[in-house]
Amino acid sequence: MSRLDNAIHELNHIEDVAGRDQWVNNIHPLVKLALTIIYIIIVVSFGKYNLSGLIGMAVYPAAVFILAELSFKDSLKRLKVVLPFVCIVGIFNPFFDRIPIYNIGSFTVTTGMISMLTLVIKGVFSVLASYLLIAITTIEEICFALRLIHVPSIIVTQVMLMYRYISMLIGEVERITKAYSLRAPGQKGIHFKVWGSLVGQLLLRSMDKAEAVYESMCLRGFNGNFYYSEKHKFVMSDIIYFAVWLIILLVFRFVPIVRAFGYIFG
Amino acid sequence: MIDIKNLIFEYDRGIRVLDNISLSCKNGESVGLVGANGAGKSTLLKLLVGIADKYEGEIKVDGLDVNKKNISKIREKTGYVFQDYDSQLFMPKVVDDVAFAPVNYGFAKEEVDRRVDKALTQINIEHLRDRHIYKLSGGEKKLVSIATILSMEPEIILMDEPSIALDPKNRRNLINILNNLGQLKIIASHDLDMIMDTCKRTVLLSGGRIAADGDTREVLSDKELLESAGLELPLRLQK
Repeated sequence: MSRLDNAIHELNHIEDVAGRDQWVNNIHPLVKLALTIIYIIIVVSFGKYNLSGLIGMAVYPAAVFILAELSFKDSLKRLKVVLPFVCIVGIFNPFFDRIPIYNIGSFTVTTGMISMLTLVIKGVFSVLASYLLIAITTIEEICFALRLIHVPSIIVTQVMLMYRYISMLIGEVERITKAYSLRAPGQKGIHFKVWGSLVGQLLLRSMDKAEAVYESMCLRGFNGNFYYSEKHKFVMSDIIYFAVWLIILLVFRFVPIVRAFGYIFG
Repeated sequence: MIDIKNLIFEYDRGIRVLDNISLSCKNGESVGLVGANGAGKSTLLKLLVGIADKYEGEIKVDGLDVNKKNISKIREKTGYVFQDYDSQLFMPKVVDDVAFAPVNYGFAKEEVDRRVDKALTQINIEHLRDRHIYKLSGGEKKLVSIATILSMEPEIILMDEPSIALDPKNRRNLINILNNLGQLKIIASHDLDMIMDTCKRTVLLSGGRIAADGDTREVLSDKELLESAGLELPLRLQK
């Protein structure tokens, strides 16, 4: 399987996982979207030296991984492209913020190191929460939830179409590169002289295809709104799920639970 | 059901694609639309569902003028099968794509399921229900693209080259399916043998004009007429 084939396969696999008939997948998409947003806001709101408080926030992704029966290893594989960027965010903190806090043997831990670690963990948790939302909610459900919170229809449509066009775009790239390699045997990659024309071709083809797909959607009743029948009516379990998580997240935000555990068991 | 009077259509650069077309099709009719490449077959179908616009003349579908005001009502009654199945299929799984129209028209889940099951059964592709679209063969994709419009239970079916990419068995299957559909069907195709098997009436387009409109056997057995329009006799009539 080529790398491009693999990318399409990965996209479809995530859709498969999101569309499974498990109870966490069947929670109302608005509840899952709201919890993800609240979670990210709470994570970001931690002070830059509050490492112990922040660690407690691992409870949400950990629980969702277990509830949704997702493979943590596979998920890390999928996130390996993004995570290094997240880790780079605070890389300069140790150089500018050099107040020593304590020593571990001869190694001095500075406030800059703690703030760097906090930033990295904030980034990782935010990315994980977003990934988990996608892994337990289909793109149509996310768009439906976005419309419920009155995100303008035009933006939501763009989000959905962009997602739909990704696999189409990858398909076009694959066709173009295959056609090129069949007529340029022995070449590694694509010669830089034809990059311009290939990218131009890709753009034109993608635009045509995108237009045709949009027309096809409109011909089958799509008008920018997302209709979901009784599958997505609020039920009591949605409200309980939301309320329980909200309480847990607020407790972890305002009560130093991890530090308390440290005192008890330390 | 479909009434076209003095239809003229030009693309932006002033190239006239359809020139003074008048055509009327009744409920339940099966009409073959044939012609050489560039004769205007696809354009004519697109005009009926408002994909192409800014035409001169009159187009009425089920008594409604094809314009912005009526277009959603017209599209609800009309199923359009694209020539390129990749344009028709955009959801990850077969079941999602076939359900796309009923979901968008706001039907309840039971009704959506019923329509999906019925459409898949009609085309004999129930076994593809949970398959990923990107893993299907060209022929399977073509059949799924037809199922996506059957789930709309349309009153009018427009098909642009429906037999492209189908192997002989699936082509025969499609012919049988089309013959069992009671709706008004307009089928644009170069597959003249399929047109002979599915349509009693044939409209021959040539240079954007109607060169012939009549009984399929008569139109498609007229060698001179077909050759003047850039076509050949159907294979079964060639010696």
